[in-house]
Amino acid sequence: MSKNLRITNSKFIDQTSRISFKFDGKTLYGFKGDTLASALLANDIHLVGRSFKYHRPRGIMTCGSEEPNAIVQLGNDPSMTEPNTRATEIELYEGLEATSQNCWPSVNFDIGAINNFFSPFIPAAFYYKTFMWPASFWEKYEYFIRKSAGLGKSPTKPDRDIYDHRYLHCDVLIIGGGISGIIAAKTAAQNNLNTVLLEDKNNLGGTTIFQNNECFKINNSYSNEWLSKEIVSLNSLKNLTIKTRTTLAAYHSYNYLLARENLTDHLSLNEKKDKIRQRLWKIRAKKVIIATGAMERPLIFNNNDRPGIILSSSIKKYIDYYGVKCGQKISLFTNNDTAYETAISLSKSGVNVNSVIDIRDKSNSSIVKEAEKLGIKIHWKHTVVNTNGYKKIKSIELMKLSDDGTNVVGNKLNEECDCLGISGGWTPRVHLFTQSGGKLKFRDKDNVFLPTKSKSEQISIGSCNGDFELDDVIKNSNNLIKEFLNINSSDYENLEINCSREIDKKNIWLLPSDKPLGKTKPFLDFQNDSTAKDVKLALREGFKSIEHVKRYTTTGMGTDQGKLSNMHALGIIAETAEVKMGELGTTTFRPPYTPLTFGTIVGRNVGKFFDITRKTPIHDWHVEKKAEFENVGQWKRAWYYPKENETMHQAVQRESKAARDSAGILDASTLGKIDIQGTDSSEFLNRVYTNDWSKLEIGKCRYGLMLNEDGMVYDDGVTTRLGENHYLMTTTTGGAANVLSKMEDYLQTEWPELDVYFTSVTDHYGTVSICGPNSKKILSKVIPDLDLSDENFPHMSFKNAMIGKIRCRVMRISFTGEQSYEINVQSGYAKSLWEKCFDAGKEFNITPYGTETMHLLRAEKGFIIAGQDTDGTITPVDLQMDWIISKKKYDFVGKRSLYRTDTIREDRKQLVGLLTDDPNEVLEEGAQIVEDANKKPVEMLGHVTSSYFSPNLNKSIALAVVKSGKKLNGKKMIVPMKNKTIGVTITETVFLDKKNKRLNA
Amino acid sequence: MFLINCPYCGERDQSEFSSGGEAHIVRPKQPKELSDDQWAEFLFMRKNIKGVQFERWNHAHGCRKWFNMARDTSNDKIHAVYKMGEKPPIK
Amino acid sequence: MLSYNSVVNDSIKYNDLTISVVESITKINLRGKKRDFITKIGKSISILLPTESNTSSNNEDLNLLWLSPDEWMLYENEKINSENDIYNLEDELFKEISKINYGSVTNITDHWVMINLKGQKVYELLSTSCPFDFKNFKQNKGSVVQTIFNHIDVIIHHKKSNDLNLFVRRSFCDHLLSWMRDAASRM
Repeated sequence: MSKNLRITNSKFIDQTSRISFKFDGKTLYGFKGDTLASALLANDIHLVGRSFKYHRPRGIMTCGSEEPNAIVQLGNDPSMTEPNTRATEIELYEGLEATSQNCWPSVNFDIGAINNFFSPFIPAAFYYKTFMWPASFWEKYEYFIRKSAGLGKSPTKPDRDIYDHRYLHCDVLIIGGGISGIIAAKTAAQNNLNTVLLEDKNNLGGTTIFQNNECFKINNSYSNEWLSKEIVSLNSLKNLTIKTRTTLAAYHSYNYLLARENLTDHLSLNEKKDKIRQRLWKIRAKKVIIATGAMERPLIFNNNDRPGIILSSSIKKYIDYYGVKCGQKISLFTNNDTAYETAISLSKSGVNVNSVIDIRDKSNSSIVKEAEKLGIKIHWKHTVVNTNGYKKIKSIELMKLSDDGTNVVGNKLNEECDCLGISGGWTPRVHLFTQSGGKLKFRDKDNVFLPTKSKSEQISIGSCNGDFELDDVIKNSNNLIKEFLNINSSDYENLEINCSREIDKKNIWLLPSDKPLGKTKPFLDFQNDSTAKDVKLALREGFKSIEHVKRYTTTGMGTDQGKLSNMHALGIIAETAEVKMGELGTTTFRPPYTPLTFGTIVGRNVGKFFDITRKTPIHDWHVEKKAEFENVGQWKRAWYYPKENETMHQAVQRESKAARDSAGILDASTLGKIDIQGTDSSEFLNRVYTNDWSKLEIGKCRYGLMLNEDGMVYDDGVTTRLGENHYLMTTTTGGAANVLSKMEDYLQTEWPELDVYFTSVTDHYGTVSICGPNSKKILSKVIPDLDLSDENFPHMSFKNAMIGKIRCRVMRISFTGEQSYEINVQSGYAKSLWEKCFDAGKEFNITPYGTETMHLLRAEKGFIIAGQDTDGTITPVDLQMDWIISKKKYDFVGKRSLYRTDTIREDRKQLVGLLTDDPNEVLEEGAQIVEDANKKPVEMLGHVTSSYFSPNLNKSIALAVVKSGKKLNGKKMIVPMKNKTIGVTITETVFLDKKNKRLNA
Repeated sequence: MFLINCPYCGERDQSEFSSGGEAHIVRPKQPKELSDDQWAEFLFMRKNIKGVQFERWNHAHGCRKWFNMARDTSNDKIHAVYKMGEKPPIK
Repeated sequence: MLSYNSVVNDSIKYNDLTISVVESITKINLRGKKRDFITKIGKSISILLPTESNTSSNNEDLNLLWLSPDEWMLYENEKINSENDIYNLEDELFKEISKINYGSVTNITDHWVMINLKGQKVYELLSTSCPFDFKNFKQNKGSVVQTIFNHIDVIIHHKKSNDLNLFVRRSFCDHLLSWMRDAASRM
């Protein structure tokens, strides 16, 4: 360290444990308890970044989450590096590496800074205006703009860190561990309320914890000493949970809040390893107390952005909390009393305070008198009109303000300094209150937006509620807490509080200079380089809404979301447009309050936990046989079973042929199954299916089509009558949950008088489906007792059977057109049943087939898949399935819609078959079908819904929906593709075994 | 994220529920007698009001019961929940 | 003969938490509204149907969980000993209830897998992904809740202090267990 900028008496910094870290490649040292910002300042480093547009040198301005300038790239590991982190919030740890952003080749010599000299030519919305024309040039512009846009660098590899989520329920949640938060926490916990206190810093106490000033006393102790004792007393409260390093990110309705807890970011690289980095708390609180404090405002004057210009209260925190002097010759510039606390702290720590420049005419408060007593020089009614120094401030120029404050008068004074503290008053942190839906009101006295009374179970207390004086904070917080929690008395009733009170107030949003506005640079948004000039320009150009001005000038759109100086932007807009600030309102504060990492948002839902997976009871067998899997909804289904080096096509062709030539076996366990009981079961089925169910015999199965009330096909499946008032319904794999919930919906809301009950049994049964000409022989080996003759057990019927002592339900139904049996057995026995069938079928070369072959086989038969050949716009008539619509039934769900003007149109898209001119050409699913490619615009008549190469027909087949398709049998069409045009002919939908002979072969 | 008081199970997180659109739309008993316009009125036309709206909700991941809710769409305040078949307790 | 395959083979043990899959527990779903249904159930299995929401009733052998105003789940304490007894409970109830149209009785033994969670940290495990507030549930033995755990439907039955039976549908079981293992390893 070249200069000694540390003082030795801070109890918050452990000066015995030195920490080494790197900034821009240079090794530096700090202490445990430092932030990156405090350690840099202790090393006399102010210049930490360049601004976004003009690349002006920028330094640390604050000590908290509102920091606009000191945002750095943390780490250099491509999977762990993090851009845009605030140096003021990063706790120092051994091995920390950080670099400046938005500068090249270095922060000290940045080529982009040339923009600063061009700045008169880069006004607000420069990019919008300049790169609009000619439109075709945008691609060329974009390359350069992209290069210069953005601040940090994103990690390029997957994040190795671990993140976590937790739910938390509590009676009272307190956000903010400053003095009012601590009063709230103690009071709530003492009254048997399950209380949680969140603080985003590593310690409780807020700003009072380092307020060591004669003028602020509670019960004759310094306010900081009194508060320390209060914090210690929290430890004995067993209802209280305190979470430090935890930032409230979002406040949603019904007191549902999200908070990010930082668990390892402050630890050394070794200590971090294998630990959860950050945890997102999902909190549901009965009552919420917001005690988030206030932020100091800057002042808006010419060249107010130079490194070394720091908020006055931050300078105080750096000296009183971190023991770091921000400079050796410090000037202070203020419009209120708080800067005098800083002046006194600096002076007592041996730092030379040049003077306090105060825009007010006077102030008679005790704190000002205390400063005067220490010999601190005050320039009343003065303003800073310019600052000098490029990479760091060197001097300031000040002048006397005119009586109305709009101009400067008299001679210019020069004052040398290496740091300028600025204070423009205080802004309550009302972000969370407004996130929760609260409305703000404006207080003219000190120009603040304050929370109004909230409708939800919530209050704001302390300085975020507009109480800035110590005695107001304690007394008002105490009263509000008692009323909110219905408590009669607390520990904070009769405290003796002494404090300095501010009486004289004055505010000028944009301070005048001796130069015209056009020649000055009064920055409003330091990160996005928008100045007071830009805002005025936007107003001149006709923007009126603050939301529009914000977006046009980018004021408040940086990573800091304009926390620092949104108020000044509003003030300047209100003044220029001559409206009241209360009427102007604020821009919307949206979550998160400070940026969240993606890791925190997703928690552990990454990799194998990205989505839920469901497995059938036979899953392990498919894995052993090296099946490829397909996701069907959440299910993992065997897709095909490649042998040795087979491609998917080869495997599917082999499987399809085997199923038709001899025998195939399919895991159909994923089909939805619903057990239906009750005396009105048949009646209910009549109402939800299009066909008639009254006359279905016990032991028989029937295919049913379910429609939405709009007449469109919703789901399909086979339902079996197990008894007089007992059915087993099957649904599609993807439709199971929706069908059950739709049926419950109709039963509960439209027809509650029906005596019928549904119970999902999808997971209770595993389903083994055997098909092919040899399926009967195989089944007779598996269940020898069962009479499989066509007379006893015909197609579309069901039998109960036993295998040993285990019950099975066997349905003779077919989705392939082959003779086929589905055996349902309790899931625990399904794998064993499958293996038994497989063994029994070995002599017939039984071939396991997956979903792809199943789809191919059914397409050969023209069977639809709801959701593939239908898309919510297809009626049964469009599917050419008129036969399934009962003429006898007066009503069923969707019936009335089948004869609306629109649904009876003959030129609707209807399901047809397609054959390609070249039988080897397989169409792409989704490809468009066209009659005349030369007609402009080309009329798209429909599209391919299913397409396969059929090994059993030795040609390509497809299903499609085509306008007026029913009437177009034999018609030639074309399917235009990227590189070619494919000729097709419209056919019937059934390609194989039109007479269904194979079902009984 | 709402906290919804299921009339059967009590207060639960919104993630256990699914919403089913406007409430108190009765399926016509004799659809055949309705004109296309009348049927379309039942099938498609829904209110979208700023203010108190009556909605159907289902405790999908709990008791699977459908119920009604009176919710103010402007501030998400739930004024009442009530069972199917019951009249709204507020106007 | 068919043999039974377990959905998973391992149980997971930590200091303050044991997660074990308990299979071959007979489970029956009961649905009905009629007064006869309620009295018949009581007589057949000697337990009163719990009619208060989120509660259960039990005797030495059986637990009866409230699921909705017209739906209950019955499960046995002991595992099925012999394949001879596998359908006894179902057949008895089906005869007494379904056959005479009092309500519905459905065997769901393998629809749900029962997972026993035991130890000081059971509620911490649930807090990793369960939005439900367990405050009152914890205080009342016999409490039942149907909610979601890592977006998966579950039924949780408070057996004893820090001893819960959690039911998850069989097809989700492997995924949920793997999630719980991961969560438990980080607590």
